[in-house]
Amino acid sequence: MNTGNRKDIPTINEYESRLADLYEEYYDKVARYVYVHIGNKEEAEDIAGEVFLKALKSLESYREQGVPMQGWLFRIAHNLTVDYLRKMDKRSRVPIDSIVLPGNDNPADTAEKNIEFERVTEAMKQLTTEQTEVINLRFFGGLTSKEVGGILNKSDGAVREMQRAAIEKLRGIMGVERR
Amino acid sequence: MTEDFDRILDECIDRINRGDNAADCLSDYPAYSEKLRPLLQSMHDVQKTYAFAPSADAKRAARQKLHATLGKQRRMTPVLSLFRAIPRSAVWATTAVLVLAIVGALVIEPVLNPPTLVPSPDGNFAFLISDEPNDIGDFESLNVTISRVVLQAAASLKRLEFTPETRTVDLTQLQGEQAQEIWRGDVPAGQYSQIYIYVSEVVGKLESTGQSVDVKLPGGKLHLSMPFEVTTDIITNFTFDITVVATGNNGKYVLKPQIGESGARQEQKSLE
Repeated sequence: MNTGNRKDIPTINEYESRLADLYEEYYDKVARYVYVHIGNKEEAEDIAGEVFLKALKSLESYREQGVPMQGWLFRIAHNLTVDYLRKMDKRSRVPIDSIVLPGNDNPADTAEKNIEFERVTEAMKQLTTEQTEVINLRFFGGLTSKEVGGILNKSDGAVREMQRAAIEKLRGIMGVERR
Repeated sequence: MTEDFDRILDECIDRINRGDNAADCLSDYPAYSEKLRPLLQSMHDVQKTYAFAPSADAKRAARQKLHATLGKQRRMTPVLSLFRAIPRSAVWATTAVLVLAIVGALVIEPVLNPPTLVPSPDGNFAFLISDEPNDIGDFESLNVTISRVVLQAAASLKRLEFTPETRTVDLTQLQGEQAQEIWRGDVPAGQYSQIYIYVSEVVGKLESTGQSVDVKLPGGKLHLSMPFEVTTDIITNFTFDITVVATGNNGKYVLKPQIGESGARQEQKSLE
């Protein structure tokens, strides 16, 4: 009886090593992905750390899924972000568009940054949930369209189409506001 | 037509994510540049608005937590299964504490703070850099400064690192069979599976113009996944081959590890 591992399936130790490597490349990206959703940098850093811990503890379930590990990390990030927002909704959550960005610059620069932040945030709010996710995973997660498709259960062609439509929408809103 | 445009926009976004600038992509697709430009500008605006670099402290703390959990998880599985098979008692609990203390000292500590190896002229391990000639002919000089080299053991998370004695190498001088030793010292015997080279600076000068050119290294490190063995009585010479390739017709270059030309060669220690 053959009880050994099949050669093409990595062992759990290999998955653990890969996760440790991905940490170096993806921690910042995961933190930015979370930040776009929750608007709090410190919380985003904490949640990014949790994503990797949760991934480590769930590697057995990952082995059965057969999707790229970085895509799986963003699935976990999405779930933890949703949990966080649910918890915050039960308390009094500070809406993302009321956040004042801290700045070391002079007050005029800070005010300008806040205006720009509000402008982009308002435009992002006009996107559909799926479009927001595509933009977030592509612009901040650095995933390819194929990897995004794997997360959203869409073809990469459908992701490319959603991406173009989303950016055109953003352009339309931000461009109009700028005039 | 729309499908073509979607693909081109997608490619430009991929390239920007990898560190290229938007202008390069626009110049590669002049027929679409008018339509592409505002969309890439919007991408830039959105990224800039939400840009933030997580603090080094937060990142370090999260890394330590991850590695500590990883070390614990790897050792707890066999330990727990052993303890499930026998009656629980104070004696076994004490033994568990001792086992964990040993694991902490031998396994977790080296992961969090990899020991730095010291160089020695009589060491059993020599580390060399070479260059497979792809586009190196375009360069008058290509100086790569290496800040540290990390070796990862195959069967555990144990990592070792050393600081090269020769930190800057000119790849134009290391083409083909040429190689330069940058460190020699004693490395603990065992099986190793990964090598990382952390690069602090790359300075390239073109042969044709004598001008500096942008040479990218995504992530600031080169990584090879390649099993090799180090023993105490034989010298292991590990050659890490680095190659430079042009990224297209945009005059940019990228450094890559060349696994086919890299590897360990062993030689007997000379008898004195």
